[in-house]
Amino acid sequence: MSVDKQLLSKLLVLDEVGIPLDSRNILGDESYGLIGIRPQHGTVANVMDILKSNVDLGAIMLYENYHGTPSEGISLARRIHAVRPELPLFLRRDAEASVAGLNPKDAALFRCAFTLENPEPLRATLDSSIFNRIYPTSLVRGLAEMTRTALASLFTNCDIEVETPYLIKDRIIYGEVFTLIALESHWCRGYMMLQGEENALMGLVRAQAGEKGEGLTFRDLNSSLGEATNLVWGAFKNRYVNHSSDQNSPLQTQVPIIINHQRRYISFGADDPQLCLKYWLREQGHPDAAPVPLYQRFVFNLNWSPDAFSENPSVESMCDSGELELF
Amino acid sequence: MAQILMVDDSSTVRNEVCDFLKANGLTVTPAVDGKDGLDKLRADPSIRLVLSDVNMPNMDGLTMAEKIRNELKNASVHVIMLTTENSPAMKERGKAAGIKGWIVKPFNGTAVLPTLKKLAC
Repeated sequence: MSVDKQLLSKLLVLDEVGIPLDSRNILGDESYGLIGIRPQHGTVANVMDILKSNVDLGAIMLYENYHGTPSEGISLARRIHAVRPELPLFLRRDAEASVAGLNPKDAALFRCAFTLENPEPLRATLDSSIFNRIYPTSLVRGLAEMTRTALASLFTNCDIEVETPYLIKDRIIYGEVFTLIALESHWCRGYMMLQGEENALMGLVRAQAGEKGEGLTFRDLNSSLGEATNLVWGAFKNRYVNHSSDQNSPLQTQVPIIINHQRRYISFGADDPQLCLKYWLREQGHPDAAPVPLYQRFVFNLNWSPDAFSENPSVESMCDSGELELF
Repeated sequence: MAQILMVDDSSTVRNEVCDFLKANGLTVTPAVDGKDGLDKLRADPSIRLVLSDVNMPNMDGLTMAEKIRNELKNASVHVIMLTTENSPAMKERGKAAGIKGWIVKPFNGTAVLPTLKKLAC
């Protein structure tokens, strides 16, 4: 597990420059955890396919002369913005680190424009739009630990691995099944989601059930993921919620959550980067079996006060899970 | 006729716990929430032990425990909570309702089986 590493964010790079475009090469240092990914083919269709299939992007960087001419680069920006307006678009230019020369409508497509010689506008935009939230390392580590424990208790036939956590701006839902539960304490208010592919996860559930597996349906998978969510929620409360001071107030705010099924889109009303952890579930004894991904997203859209973050000091004295505490 | 009433809204947990207890020679009746649990307990006076989740729709497990004592006037059945909750305030409420014990999920059958058998027989 590598959850103690710096938080990352994936940058879709639409640029023909011959160097890897990561934090070191764009910004001259590695203080930003940018991971550049490029389309296999530079065609518009390929780019749009990537946007349909990738659900965990942090932003997109576009070279103004992508495909040879400024008009084609801007045309692509318009199409990207139409389908994924939540993703920040950064424009790399040859001569001027600004949107000067673009008409106002096109200029508004981009969060910033920069050049390789002058990446400061990009740095400032990253500070304000992606890496503008502090997620305490101990919190991220704790979330990964409690989730791995929950998944391991339910998918007992699987080894569970977690990738380095990263930040996303995406609002696309992965897979066909997801769970959603509120997380609330004096330092945070928001939601946790688990997202996965039904068929792949059903395969794991059926394999674990053995002879009974054939009789299982999607409802059994729903129940397993629901219980995984419940276990994480309970562990979160026990570890991070101060039971004496975290009293629910009837006046607490809420905002509508909007889901568009056709577009596999979910919005929590806030534009802040979400913390994403990706788990891989691999069936034990089947080294050749494809691991099954499960995405976990934390969206603290109603309150985020990491300065007040604390672990429950009494957590160590509480009884261990699974043991009976008699009164 | 059952020895144990297993109350949980999650079919995953219900099936896991019921299968484990049956495999170890105990008779179990499942219920999907506190309201269903009260109905099942009312209908089967042979139940000796209630194993229940806390957070459930329709009626939560602690409310069910309170009603077992106050409405059903059943002081003999043992109630144990099986839940993700671990807060002192919840446990105090459970104690006031006369519950016998508390297990934090996930369920570890082997660790608790001897005590469950003792309470159910």
